[in-house]
Amino acid sequence: MTRKRFVTLTLVPAIGLLATLALVSIAGAVWFAVMNRTLRSPDYDFVGAYNFLRLLRDRRFFNALEISAIWEAVTVAGTLALAVFLAVLIFETVKKPLYRNLICFAFLVPVLLPRVAAAFIWRFLYSPSLGVLNYLCGLVGIGPVEFLADPSLALISVAAVDIWQWGLFFSVILLKLLETLPRDPIEAAMLDNARTWEIHAFVTLPMLRGPLISLALVKAVESLRSFDLIFVMTGGGPGTATETLDLYAYQMGINMGGRISYASAMSLLLLVVTTVAFTIIWKAGKKWAS
Amino acid sequence: MGKLISAILTRAVLGGLIVVALGPILWTVLGAFKELRDIVTPVPKVFFEPTLDNFATILRNPTIRDGLLNSVIVVSAAVLVGAVLGIPAAHTLARHARKWGDDVQFFVLSLRFMPPVAIAIPFIVIYLDLGIYDTLFGLVLVYLIVTVSTVIWLAVPAFERVPRNIEEAAAMEGCGPAEIFWRFSLPVAAPSLFGALVFTFVLVWNELLLALTLAAQNATLPVVAASITSLGKEVPWGVINAATVLLVLPPLVFIGLLMGLLNTMVRSGPK
Repeated sequence: MTRKRFVTLTLVPAIGLLATLALVSIAGAVWFAVMNRTLRSPDYDFVGAYNFLRLLRDRRFFNALEISAIWEAVTVAGTLALAVFLAVLIFETVKKPLYRNLICFAFLVPVLLPRVAAAFIWRFLYSPSLGVLNYLCGLVGIGPVEFLADPSLALISVAAVDIWQWGLFFSVILLKLLETLPRDPIEAAMLDNARTWEIHAFVTLPMLRGPLISLALVKAVESLRSFDLIFVMTGGGPGTATETLDLYAYQMGINMGGRISYASAMSLLLLVVTTVAFTIIWKAGKKWAS
Repeated sequence: MGKLISAILTRAVLGGLIVVALGPILWTVLGAFKELRDIVTPVPKVFFEPTLDNFATILRNPTIRDGLLNSVIVVSAAVLVGAVLGIPAAHTLARHARKWGDDVQFFVLSLRFMPPVAIAIPFIVIYLDLGIYDTLFGLVLVYLIVTVSTVIWLAVPAFERVPRNIEEAAAMEGCGPAEIFWRFSLPVAAPSLFGALVFTFVLVWNELLLALTLAAQNATLPVVAASITSLGKEVPWGVINAATVLLVLPPLVFIGLLMGLLNTMVRSGPK
């Protein structure tokens, strides 16, 4: 077998399949977005930009857009902040390799949990009548706190679960990266009587700039997959307080009367925005990180 | 004195962190062995008479059993096809594609940027028209987007780490590219590749949205678990906890592997 044939044989099936599936879903979304297809009837007509124009007048759509943006910002920033804090804390306080490994194993567990399972675990803890967290709140004299039913708390409560899963995971990665750093700059800073937090803020973390940016990008992409967690924990409620774009598109397209075309228009907008934004950010981030 | 305080502080930090990470999960495991009257107490109970009723309820429930079976079939088929298609492609991208390899790799990565709902909504109509809505085949097909792209994404670095001189020596001996891949690169890269497959397995095992939209009767375990809350009037917390435990177990088996994968990735330099 020649090299050229080997390349063709290995690459064409895999990439061909991916390209076909991606094209079918994008072409399908575009096709349905300019029709008025619903799940109820098989007949449909061309309606042009009608669905997109209606989106512009849909307040629930703009609410979902806002919730999605808040979700992205809170989960990415929260995850990185928690990861940096915990990695430095463990790096400075826990010196024994055995203890460190124990912590690393414990910290890897949450991210492996299925989102549905994590959602149930925390709904159980958050529960106002029988949850442990409200029992603890009761001990210090507050509560019962409606973590998931209070519109001003619900989004933060769900985001906390996401940060719990990913922040602990990223802190393991950061801890391992801190361990691989050369000791010389750190010791030089110590000779200059730098405080511990100063060493990390001005020496070690700047040295890890590249990986930190990569982690932020990975988290930003993963945060788009918030559907499972929110769907099980609040279902978008109370009201529309935790309804992100994918939840709204799901409710429109499948749950409420199956308005496929309207949901297609919405998911198409979401697709274009995320793909363009992430392509630009990813390429810029890679350049900046290296 | 200062030493003693710092030693106590260390222990406290250590204990506190492990409680934060594992406490919620252990609480759910405890709950899975409780009867409802031990769950609905004003003061949380740590000591109680354990029962296996919740697990019995789950395993006797045909919907949950089918969900488990469907999950096993769909996930293993999707990961298997993903490996068969993705691993050779990754080898080619790592070794034989210099000019346009980066563009192909970026295309593969960019599939990860696609919001799942943008795949789900067109596919539900296409599946209905084709008559493969609510079939296991349909689910496997759509999961291939996830598995093939993730396998390629993780396997390219694994093949890049294979020492070049092994492959060059084999080529000098007159081995063709297929033989080099099969007899030399694949065995050397096998441990990292296994890690990549495990990661892919966890991703699809945990998936909810696509299964929720593209299947109804033939749904996977996450979908079935997510719908338990709507059974009956009272929220059956014991049963939910037991279902959660069932859902959590398979991915957790692989925690040691994930740790190993992290160690090699960090050592070979962060991307």
